[in-house]
Amino acid sequence: MANKKAFGKLKGREAMVLGIIAAMVILFSVLSSTFRTYPTLVSVLDISYYITLMALGVTFPLITGGVDLSIGTGLVSYALIGGFLIVHQGVPVGVGILACIGIGVLVGVFNGVLIAVMDLPPFLATLCTCMITRGLGPALCGGFGVSWPSAISADGAFRNVFKFTSDSGTVIPIGIVFMIVLVGIMSFVLEHTRVGRYTIAIGSNKEATRLAGVNVKFYHMLAYIISGLFAGLAGVAYAATYATIYPGSGAGFELDAIGGAIVGGVSASGGVGSIVGAFLGVFVICLMKVGLPFIGLQANWQQIFTGIVLIAAVLIDVIKKKK
Amino acid sequence: MKKKMLAVLLSSAMVLSMAACSGGNQDGGSASSDGGETETSSDDGGSDGGGSYTFEVLVKSFQSTYWQAAVQGIEQACDELGVKANANGPANESDIADQITMINDAIQKKPDGIGLAACDASSVIDSLGKAAEAGIPVVCFDTGVDDAPEGSVYATVATDNASAGAVAAENMFPVIEEKIKAASSSAQVRVGEVNQDATGLNIQQRGLGFIEKMIELCGGADKKVAVVGNEFYVNASKDKGTVDEKEADVIIEVGVPAQTTVDLASTEAQKIMSKKDTIAIFGSNQTTAEGVITANQTLNKLATDPEKGIIGVGFDAGTPQKEAILNDQFIGSVTQSPLMMGYECIQTLNKIANGEDVSDIPMNGYWYNKDNMEDDDIKPNLYD
Repeated sequence: MANKKAFGKLKGREAMVLGIIAAMVILFSVLSSTFRTYPTLVSVLDISYYITLMALGVTFPLITGGVDLSIGTGLVSYALIGGFLIVHQGVPVGVGILACIGIGVLVGVFNGVLIAVMDLPPFLATLCTCMITRGLGPALCGGFGVSWPSAISADGAFRNVFKFTSDSGTVIPIGIVFMIVLVGIMSFVLEHTRVGRYTIAIGSNKEATRLAGVNVKFYHMLAYIISGLFAGLAGVAYAATYATIYPGSGAGFELDAIGGAIVGGVSASGGVGSIVGAFLGVFVICLMKVGLPFIGLQANWQQIFTGIVLIAAVLIDVIKKKK
Repeated sequence: MKKKMLAVLLSSAMVLSMAACSGGNQDGGSASSDGGETETSSDDGGSDGGGSYTFEVLVKSFQSTYWQAAVQGIEQACDELGVKANANGPANESDIADQITMINDAIQKKPDGIGLAACDASSVIDSLGKAAEAGIPVVCFDTGVDDAPEGSVYATVATDNASAGAVAAENMFPVIEEKIKAASSSAQVRVGEVNQDATGLNIQQRGLGFIEKMIELCGGADKKVAVVGNEFYVNASKDKGTVDEKEADVIIEVGVPAQTTVDLASTEAQKIMSKKDTIAIFGSNQTTAEGVITANQTLNKLATDPEKGIIGVGFDAGTPQKEAILNDQFIGSVTQSPLMMGYECIQTLNKIANGEDVSDIPMNGYWYNKDNMEDDDIKPNLYD
């Protein structure tokens, strides 16, 4: 029943994050007249897609009390390989997309085996796969940057899934609709299916869960496979939103997703968290990424400010719990 | 709980430091899958300058388009001079050890000279020492080796980034000249520049090269310029005759993303392009030029006519940038010329073999647009 209690708390958490988002939007809009325009909204959404997908996935390992650090370099690596297959090997775009997602799942399985079966600490195991994936893409693709087919080219239709440009030139960010659908699905999985319940149970008390007869290894592994699957999807979203995938980039992307999830109330020590919370948390991160430059804050100050806001967001939670 | 928080914090710190290290080198050269060797020679050997020399040339990686262009330049020079050059290189730019082995092998062959584009400037120093001992002159191209042993490197052929940045300004200015002339402190116009970082020497020089040239050109039109935005570029251009933002007729706004990623580069571009007084924008490398293009997907403001929208100029190549030029989003871009660097490398080696004095050759950036993209001396430089 501890879960039910935690769940009740989370509702308040989500409301609070929503409040933070509203406050940020108002602040940025007041401080910058160019921020409160439609194209800026679209670019916040653009940035949110790949981070949201990473966050939806990484929430599962986080709730088991682990973490997946391989998703950032992973998504770049998968997108690099997928793009390489499409551009240089001439495979159809659909196959390239499936390859991108498939490799993500495989790396998820690998992480899962290391952590759930071989009992490696999640931090260490996924830090290592982070390094492996960072090298893997460039190694397989010859170290060359890859541009997936552009929106105007014949093979560029997949880009319209995220950003649809109408004939009159209006850009419609329909990607957000798919994100909301996915949030709904994963929310259901986490809260109403065996997979989700066991994920939370493992994070609350792994030993008790095992004694209750649950195949802990399998469900623990599944958390990392879900994370890998979503890293693969994030790779597709990243490739669809931006021009060129550069080898060697992606380190640090996972922190946007993990940071977003934690701001959204997913506990870094496991057992607690919601998909909706993680989703909202991601928007706090994305708004800062776009809003801070718009109000004229320079690079160094953006990073300082982002750090302070994240501390504040987590601190509010800690203080509330102490009360 | 505390332990786990600590673990997360630690991991964050480690990953951040990795991210910080990964920022650089997205300029120019990239690698391809497998190594290889090619031999270039010409029949009319000895017709030009006395001897039929043989040179060993080492590129950073063999089969990427950037380095293929360099090899093409090497071949051109060989044909003209009637000399022979063996070009070789590792499979990947990061295969530093492979390249060292190749340099040492090249020294064993006792060629008349070695051309070197070093994968890693510090790792080649021992080999350069060996070359000096063996009396084989070395010419570095594309990348210089600052700490080369005395007497080993005779000359360096590399892009002068400051002048390459200036090339962008020189070609942008005539297009926006009328707008600049019409500007005043009460009706300011804004020229944007997005630089990938404020720490890499190449990008610093290129960014400042553009700013300085733009200040000079605006000064010629009797307009006062203010530089705003990123602290480094603002401070570095303070003694170049800039004025306070309020007094200026023209504002150069420099955006630098907090991290070197395409999404943040595009946010910086969007921030500048969203402003009503912005008339032009320059993305000073491939990442930031693509940032401008990505921002334009939602803003739809780029045009080749200053009356209709913002004038865009890029740097380096890549498919998205070439498409932007063909589709009238960019008026043009500046490319480095691996072809000319390869060509000048052989020319310099030949001069050394002939006993002539040589000095470093700073290479220009080359302007390309719709009209000359297919030209023989430009096209090989424009990698996908």
